[in-house]
Amino acid sequence: MKRRATLPPAVRAALRSPGGKCYRHCDRPIRIRSVSSRLPGTWKVRACPSGVVSVTTYTEWTRDDPTPKVRDVLRRWTVPSSLVRLWDLRIATRHGPELGRGAERALRAVRPTRGVRVVYWRVYPFRARDGTERRLFVCQRRNHPSPVFFAASPGAKKWGCPVCARRPSAR
Amino acid sequence: MAREHGTVRPRRLTVVLAEWCPHCVPLSVRKGRQLARRLGVPFRTLDIDRRAQEKVADRFVREHGDASPDYLIPQVFLEWSDGEIQHLLTGFSEQVARTARAWDDLLGSAWLRSLPKEGRR
Repeated sequence: MKRRATLPPAVRAALRSPGGKCYRHCDRPIRIRSVSSRLPGTWKVRACPSGVVSVTTYTEWTRDDPTPKVRDVLRRWTVPSSLVRLWDLRIATRHGPELGRGAERALRAVRPTRGVRVVYWRVYPFRARDGTERRLFVCQRRNHPSPVFFAASPGAKKWGCPVCARRPSAR
Repeated sequence: MAREHGTVRPRRLTVVLAEWCPHCVPLSVRKGRQLARRLGVPFRTLDIDRRAQEKVADRFVREHGDASPDYLIPQVFLEWSDGEIQHLLTGFSEQVARTARAWDDLLGSAWLRSLPKEGRR
């Protein structure tokens, strides 16, 4: 396991992005939950109260591209793992000047310079073979050791988390 | 983002975008023009849905930006007089308002103020 490179508080604050509504599903406010893993960076899952995932982010202060290890972790958390496609993982580098003065100052003070890398996992709604719409859900019940991501039809009467069989709760 | 300025000057600002992307149009076109004016350089967009522009956009992103198989847009690049291409900003996938805030922070940044005055109007 790599030593965790702790982001300065000003950078952590700048990377926070509260607010937002569930897009094209229920229009209810997004809830942001932190998730832990063996990776050195931080995870955030943005999901509506029904568990429909807007986007999942992984943030690490590194020069490397963390996408491959992010994919591996997400595959362990997702049923079936084939839902995690490289196509849906997108990287962004945050340099400092676009994060506000405090974060810019904090990142500039560090030598050698390195950006903050954010990997976004966004699965857009898709059609299953039977033609029904599927969305990515997450179940984060306390008895799960890690989040459980799965696809389901929001309109279906019978579906649930593939691990606990209950409807997801983003709490 | 750190770069020794010396005799090197900004030459052109490029935004890789798509017309359908709300982080790109109109937000990043408006803010990009504003930044280019501050730098005193020409502004251009590269639309990933126009074949000729897409090739250049893909090259910029692959060689200098945040490359993924289906990469994020907008991505903003500053070309310098010595040929270097500097990646400045990638859109925030969380929400459009966050990308707008990033543009505002970039426009008010110490980095921008530190650029040689001859490079700015």
